Amino acid sequence: MASLWLKLRAIPGWVWPLLFAVILILLPFIGAPYPMIRQVELTIMLALIVSGLNLSLGYAGELAMGQVAMYAAGAYAAGLVSKAGNTDLLFQLLVGAAAALVVGLISGIPGLRLGGWSLAMTSFFLILLVPDVLSLFKSETGGRNGLSGIRPATLFGEMIDSRTYYVIIIVVGILWFAAMRNMIVSRHGIALRVLKQSPVLASSMGISVFRTKLSAYAMGAIPAGLAGVLFANLDLFLSPEAFAFSFAMTVLAASIFGGSASVYGAIVGAFVLQFGMNQSTNFQEYGLIITGTFLLIGGVAFTGGISALARLLVRRADAAARAKTGYVEAPASEAIVERREGALLRTDNVSKAFGGNQALSDVSVEAKPGAVTAIIGPNGSGKTTLLNMISGFYRTDQGTITIDGQAVHGLSSFRVARSGVSRTFQTPNVPEKLTVLEAVEAGRYARDRSSILAAVLRLPSYWRVTRDDRIEAERALALVGLSEQRHAMADSLPLGNRRLLEVARSLVGSPKVLLLDEVASGLDEDEIEVLASLILRLRDSGMTVVLVEHNFRLVLRLADVIYVLAQGKVMAQGTPDEIENNPRVMEEYLGVTPEDEANQTGGHHE
Amino acid sequence: MTIIMSGLAIGAVYALVAIGYNIVFLSQKTFNFAQAALMMLGAFVAYMGIAVLGLPWWLVAIVAAIVIGGVAALEEVVAIRPVKDHHNLLVTTLGASIIMEGVAQLIWGGEPRRVPFFLGDGVIDLAGGRVYPVEIALVIVVVLLVVALTQYSKRSMTGIALLGMSEDREAAMLRGVNVRRFAFWAFVFTGVLAGLLGVLVGPKTYAVATLGAALAIKGFVVLAIGGFGSMWGTLVGGLIVGLTEALAARYIGGDFANLSVFFILIVILMLKPTGLFTRRTERAV
Repeated sequence: MASLWLKLRAIPGWVWPLLFAVILILLPFIGAPYPMIRQVELTIMLALIVSGLNLSLGYAGELAMGQVAMYAAGAYAAGLVSKAGNTDLLFQLLVGAAAALVVGLISGIPGLRLGGWSLAMTSFFLILLVPDVLSLFKSETGGRNGLSGIRPATLFGEMIDSRTYYVIIIVVGILWFAAMRNMIVSRHGIALRVLKQSPVLASSMGISVFRTKLSAYAMGAIPAGLAGVLFANLDLFLSPEAFAFSFAMTVLAASIFGGSASVYGAIVGAFVLQFGMNQSTNFQEYGLIITGTFLLIGGVAFTGGISALARLLVRRADAAARAKTGYVEAPASEAIVERREGALLRTDNVSKAFGGNQALSDVSVEAKPGAVTAIIGPNGSGKTTLLNMISGFYRTDQGTITIDGQAVHGLSSFRVARSGVSRTFQTPNVPEKLTVLEAVEAGRYARDRSSILAAVLRLPSYWRVTRDDRIEAERALALVGLSEQRHAMADSLPLGNRRLLEVARSLVGSPKVLLLDEVASGLDEDEIEVLASLILRLRDSGMTVVLVEHNFRLVLRLADVIYVLAQGKVMAQGTPDEIENNPRVMEEYLGVTPEDEANQTGGHHE
Repeated sequence: MTIIMSGLAIGAVYALVAIGYNIVFLSQKTFNFAQAALMMLGAFVAYMGIAVLGLPWWLVAIVAAIVIGGVAALEEVVAIRPVKDHHNLLVTTLGASIIMEGVAQLIWGGEPRRVPFFLGDGVIDLAGGRVYPVEIALVIVVVLLVVALTQYSKRSMTGIALLGMSEDREAAMLRGVNVRRFAFWAFVFTGVLAGLLGVLVGPKTYAVATLGAALAIKGFVVLAIGGFGSMWGTLVGGLIVGLTEALAARYIGGDFANLSVFFILIVILMLKPTGLFTRRTERAV
């Protein structure tokens, strides 16, 4: 039983949906009645729109209902092209997708800047405008009376019979879902998932929050446009009522039910809503209540929908089967540190005030390649603020920050990250629903570039980058000693391992400057040893390491230069020897004699 | 004057929705999409009470306040309290709103129902225009309501606690404010308000099931213009949206009413995403 399960799991995951699609294609040839065929056709169109919504809601994390407007754009574009005399379906699909894309970009650019409720409402408004816009161009679109006179579609000059049209719809569905699946399992999909949970983390890894969200939203326009074209050619009549607010709600309910953050959940959700609605005979009366209940239950009870439930079950079965058959994990990579290139990080007279609170004043710090520069100081002395300034999360009020002479102050955080600065966070920032390996691989997003198109079409560049991601991530995990947990869920790790995971993630993109924010606190003695020797090896490899740390003994052991911050100012700087013997630091700041301090190893939280 | 007054009155209705949004926003930092649906139900109760059963308007208002307050309480318990992920509130309140619309459609059908106004539906000549009494009443009531709410929040303990909660939920909790219960009653209050005002809103908008979606969105535009959490902002926002809509419909064409409001929304959101009347605070990582 267990071994059979593992054999089934060894079959690539995409085989199952493809099998399902083949069965669907066969339906009319095995005598399925027409009403059922039509339901399937409508379901596939609904699934296409839902999957567009999933890209923005499930993956980019923004509720943007513009898909219905994009669907309308695709449908009317196809209808008008057809009336103008071009009945070629392929051409219409192209035009429809393009029209939807335009609507997506126009509504996405202002909407995504705002996000949250503003985006949701702006996109709802967009749906409300559909009948108005149609009625503005009444002579072309027929306004509220609908667009009639669409001519039957052709393919390569041949008329399409209804059975062929059914096959075409399914094939379009297969192609789209294959494209979406390829994108989601690629690094772009992982980037989206990181972004959804923590924009701060994403930008610290060099992911542009706005651009990534926009590309997801715009990509979501394509299936909506395709569905519109297919819809226009199905009934050869379009009415504004097909694009009403209640339809948008059906799309949303299907997305929530199937699971917004999934590829095939859209199909499940679409089937349930399309067939469920048709089954209840009094649908006209109860439709809204059913849709609303779906939304309510979906939002309250099962976040993640059916697909999250399925994933959970599969994961459990995997674990059980592996435990029974004695599955062996792949061995860890060799823990070697390559020669790395560091960069000179300088802050010159950096000041920052939050309201009336002067967090930093005239802070000048220099971190050299091949050295560990430690920044210590009491809570609230401005250590983390300084790191946040360097990584571009705050703007400097005054002063400059340079990396190898290039100014980085004033750059957005993702650009700072791309210029070679990588960091960990005081509270480990570990995204949910990613494995340890994926979470580390995400750290390479800005490192090698490979386009979404390359991922969708599986071009050689995609394979190369994916292979490199895997190798580098394995190597980084080996360095921090987490290789055995590579397939565990990242957010299930205990605190110490989360910190090490963060270190691995920040190393994997081969940064020039590594900022470690209280990375040793919460680690046990053994983990601290792993970390300490890793930091020394990284230093020896030539990297620039900046260490913000409370564990004074560790700092003395690792640092080449120590800066002491107090009340936002640099109070002292020097070698560990100098700082250890600086009476002012000892008495005024630490308030203890060096012997006392030597007994204290635990870190403090700020 | 006819157009201006009609615009002001519809703007007042939008402002009433926005006031409801604001109260919920201040007390639990969420956004109740169903606010407008509550108002739609209020209009239907007013229709039932006044047009069908012929009850006196004040009795209808009280009954509507109790009924819609109850619906709001139910919504809070079902669609807001059990939601763990804050993001999902968007979906659940939307669901609640759709259910209310569905129920209204089931009971009263899709046709708009006229709600008579208790001070009469005769046209009054005012400054050279033809004005309905309900339009004047709406504008007066919304201004009074904003004055009352701002005074109340400044002077009463409840109001101060509410402002404190919106500022820092945890700090308010530590000061002994029962944040949970408080948020609940604030929510119920928005329902009571929606019920009370049904006798005013109904005569202007008619009672129609599909009122919810359009009102919800226009109410949001008012909020976006006036600023999230700003009571006075709702008046300005209502004024701008109502007049834009009425004037655009009259002078450019009926199809442009929504488009013009949409245009204003986009411009405002792009230029000043926090609204015209709120200050921007620096966000910390």
